[in-house]
Amino acid sequence: MRRRQGMDHLPVTLERRRLYILPTRAGVAFTALLFLMLLAGLNYANSLALFLTFLLTGFALVVMQQCHRNLLGLEVVAEIAPAVFARSTGALQLTLGNRGAAPRMRLEAALAKGALRTADLPAHLEQRVELPVPAPVRGVVRIERVRLSTAHPFGLFRAWTWVHTEVAMLVYPQPHGRLPMPADSVRTAGVRSHSGAGADEWVGLRPFRDGDSPRQVDWKAYAREAPLLVKEYVQGASELRLFEFAQLAHLDEEARLSQLARWVVDAEAHGERYGLVLPGVRLAPDRGPEHRHRCLAALALYGGGVA
Amino acid sequence: MSSSVALPATSAAPLRPLLWTCAAFAGGVLLHADRVPPWAAGIALLLIAWRLLNAHRPGGDPGIAARAVLALVLVAIVLVRFHTLNGLAAGTTLLLLMAGLKLLETHAPRDQFVMVAAGLFLLLAACLDRQELARAPLYGLQAWLCCATLAVVAAPTTSARVALALAGRALLLAVPLALLLFVFFPRLPGAFWAIPSTDLALSGLSDTMTPGSIGLLATSYDPAFRVQFLGPTPPPQERYWRGPVMHEFDGQSWRATASELRTRAPRDTLGTAYRYRVQLEASHQRWWFALDTPLQPPDARALLTYDDQIVGAEPVNDPVSFEAVSYTHTRFREPLDTAATRQDTALPRSGNPRTRALAESLRARAGSDAALVRAALDYLRTGGFVYSLEPERLGSDAVDDFLFRTHVGFCGHYASAFVVLMRGAGVPARVVTGYLGGEWIPFGGYFLVRQADAHAWAEVWLAGRGWTRVDPTAVVAPERLQRGILDLLPQELRGRERLLHASPWLMEWLQRWDAANAWWTNHVVRFDYEAQLDVLARLGISSPDARYLGWAFMLALCGWLALIAWHVGRSIRPERKDALARSYARLCRKLARIAPRAPHQGPLEFAAALIARRPDVQAAVLPLLRRYAELRYGPPSAHTAREQDIRAFRQAVARLSLPRAAPAPR
Repeated sequence: MRRRQGMDHLPVTLERRRLYILPTRAGVAFTALLFLMLLAGLNYANSLALFLTFLLTGFALVVMQQCHRNLLGLEVVAEIAPAVFARSTGALQLTLGNRGAAPRMRLEAALAKGALRTADLPAHLEQRVELPVPAPVRGVVRIERVRLSTAHPFGLFRAWTWVHTEVAMLVYPQPHGRLPMPADSVRTAGVRSHSGAGADEWVGLRPFRDGDSPRQVDWKAYAREAPLLVKEYVQGASELRLFEFAQLAHLDEEARLSQLARWVVDAEAHGERYGLVLPGVRLAPDRGPEHRHRCLAALALYGGGVA
Repeated sequence: MSSSVALPATSAAPLRPLLWTCAAFAGGVLLHADRVPPWAAGIALLLIAWRLLNAHRPGGDPGIAARAVLALVLVAIVLVRFHTLNGLAAGTTLLLLMAGLKLLETHAPRDQFVMVAAGLFLLLAACLDRQELARAPLYGLQAWLCCATLAVVAAPTTSARVALALAGRALLLAVPLALLLFVFFPRLPGAFWAIPSTDLALSGLSDTMTPGSIGLLATSYDPAFRVQFLGPTPPPQERYWRGPVMHEFDGQSWRATASELRTRAPRDTLGTAYRYRVQLEASHQRWWFALDTPLQPPDARALLTYDDQIVGAEPVNDPVSFEAVSYTHTRFREPLDTAATRQDTALPRSGNPRTRALAESLRARAGSDAALVRAALDYLRTGGFVYSLEPERLGSDAVDDFLFRTHVGFCGHYASAFVVLMRGAGVPARVVTGYLGGEWIPFGGYFLVRQADAHAWAEVWLAGRGWTRVDPTAVVAPERLQRGILDLLPQELRGRERLLHASPWLMEWLQRWDAANAWWTNHVVRFDYEAQLDVLARLGISSPDARYLGWAFMLALCGWLALIAWHVGRSIRPERKDALARSYARLCRKLARIAPRAPHQGPLEFAAALIARRPDVQAAVLPLLRRYAELRYGPPSAHTAREQDIRAFRQAVARLSLPRAAPAPR
């Protein structure tokens, strides 16, 4: 693949030297039509027919400029591809910015092999376009380039460019498996422990965070117009889980990873604390979206992803 | 229907492009509505209506077999009616019908594009067909409509207003290039392929004349030709414009005989030479109308016959202009040869006995041919004859009937009767048809000769002088020489012409309109190879060197492209800094006295830093910085409200004055 401009560093403003433009099939047909009209006008020495031909020729050239201008100066503000689970469809979220005073209509964005999405971009605004990216297996999907194009306003020309950025979309293993979550693995994991098996120990109040279970909210305090607080416990050993790759020796590798992903997702959903142990990777028990992502990413990248 | 459920998008979305393509095609059909056979236009419009009515029924198309059969049937009908598929009329009709059929299977954008192309082709055919100034705006509208349709086909959600604005803007920007190409694009001196002869209705005079035939032209305001004198202007009674000269009489009508091989008799010219330029309207006939007696054919495209007609090599299918020199009085040096004498004294073997008798009695009384002419004119002057556009129908002995019964006639009657009288008396005479007079158009500096100015007069051979013009109408209605027929016989006018005649104001505008038409025909329609060389010569390019012209043209093209690029690109350049950012920068400069804003500080952090340094400025600074944060990062508001807010912010920043710093504590 030729990369005239090398890798792009966002935000990128599309300049002249990277824009290409060619007539579309309709444009080629229109040119043929103009040629026929010219022949007829010349043959009949008919001034009106010739003027019409020349007017439409000028029209086509103006249209070419307008098409080029629709893409020129467009800003690619950001490209992100949030992680998704395997066997689903992810998305490249492309943020396009228009800093000009005129709207840019019918901008088309597409990946090298993928569906095309169209967006209208009003003046002085940014807009996000989501391009679907299939995620069949766990690992990393690398998105190397995005094609931006437009045939606005008359469909006679299409201007296009390639934006080369390396966006990696993480694909978590598909959560799958019915094995029960391992309980009481704390001691083997060597995580801090508290006496009093079974019962949780109340340690204090802390501000509410996303993902906290409503059951833990101190509703009485909230009723007294205090901020939303969460009663924090040091959980009993049975609630502190450690998921180990080695525990699932009877499954094959992908099934193990899927099972671990299942546990991670479920544990996070239940507001439990969990840790993950993979060969060469050890994640101490914790909870929250970041921890969940760390665990799932470790699973996704295990062994360098699926070959 | 299951298909409409499965594909809801295909049934609803393409309605707008379909409407537009139908409109673009219908526009093309209407441009030809009065030219193609009515059944063809009817079928095309019916197909459009049918397609629109079935727009919501995706399964309602006729099958491919039905369409193929329909296409074959329509081609066959065109072949039968026109005997060809070639030529403008047949080709246009065929295009109309086939594009109408194509409309039935128009679903995808590709088909819609084909329909737009058909609309443009119909427009081209209309341009080839008729080039009147009055039609030019219609052509412009059709081009606009087709281009707007292209926009809708490319993006089906485009609204009508946006599509029309887009197309209109692009077309307006294209006009300079179109003008440039129009003047400089090399024309051909000839044609690539033979242009099939047109089968259009002839207008104006023809090569036969019955006494009433000229009266049919008399109420037509259509222009026949325009004349600009390049020197002295002949007086009104000399403004006879010669057309077909009639030699053969069959008792009812006169006929021009084609015997162009006869040589012109030598003659002397008398009086003034008139130089003039004539611009003929398309008549689809071969006569070029010239003042009374031209001495030379104007150019290689025409011949001058022995009876002084200028006859073009080709019918005048497009406007033609030529320059000529004429005299209104000549003297022939030699007597008329016997063949010509026989031809111009011939009468049918029988018929019109009373006229023959009258001719013989006049002959017996008159001493010379000139006296005979005077006697015949006296007879017409004193015989109670009336000049009228609506004479009675004449019987089989038409001249007898006119001279002795009805006494009411038009110029054709008088010319015909007079020539029959002359021939009956043995004097060579012939009927000349043409035009008399012309209306002075001050706005263009030319005379406009209308079809209504059509006239017929006589020429008799007088020994010692040769062919001499005699206008018998002039003795019956002498005013006719000074004024047009329409002035003379206003009661004959109908409808539009009567209205125009009644109002001098309308008449003046009509004259202006004619001047505009003349300009259009001269400078636009007839801008051909020669005219182009003319323009180049006037620009100082005497020998148009192709390479030199090519470079000049490329330069102009590049200039235009650069201008367009600049114009089109103006709106995409981001403003250097928006108004809000400029005001914020100013605020920060003002506040830098207290503490410069660090690059990482947002407006609220900056405020906190300022207040920490100078608590006394809190009231002045905090609201401003908060306001900026709201405007910059807050929820978007309506465009106009935002403009106002930003203006208010700018003014508040301008008003801000910081209190002098408190003396630093020691």
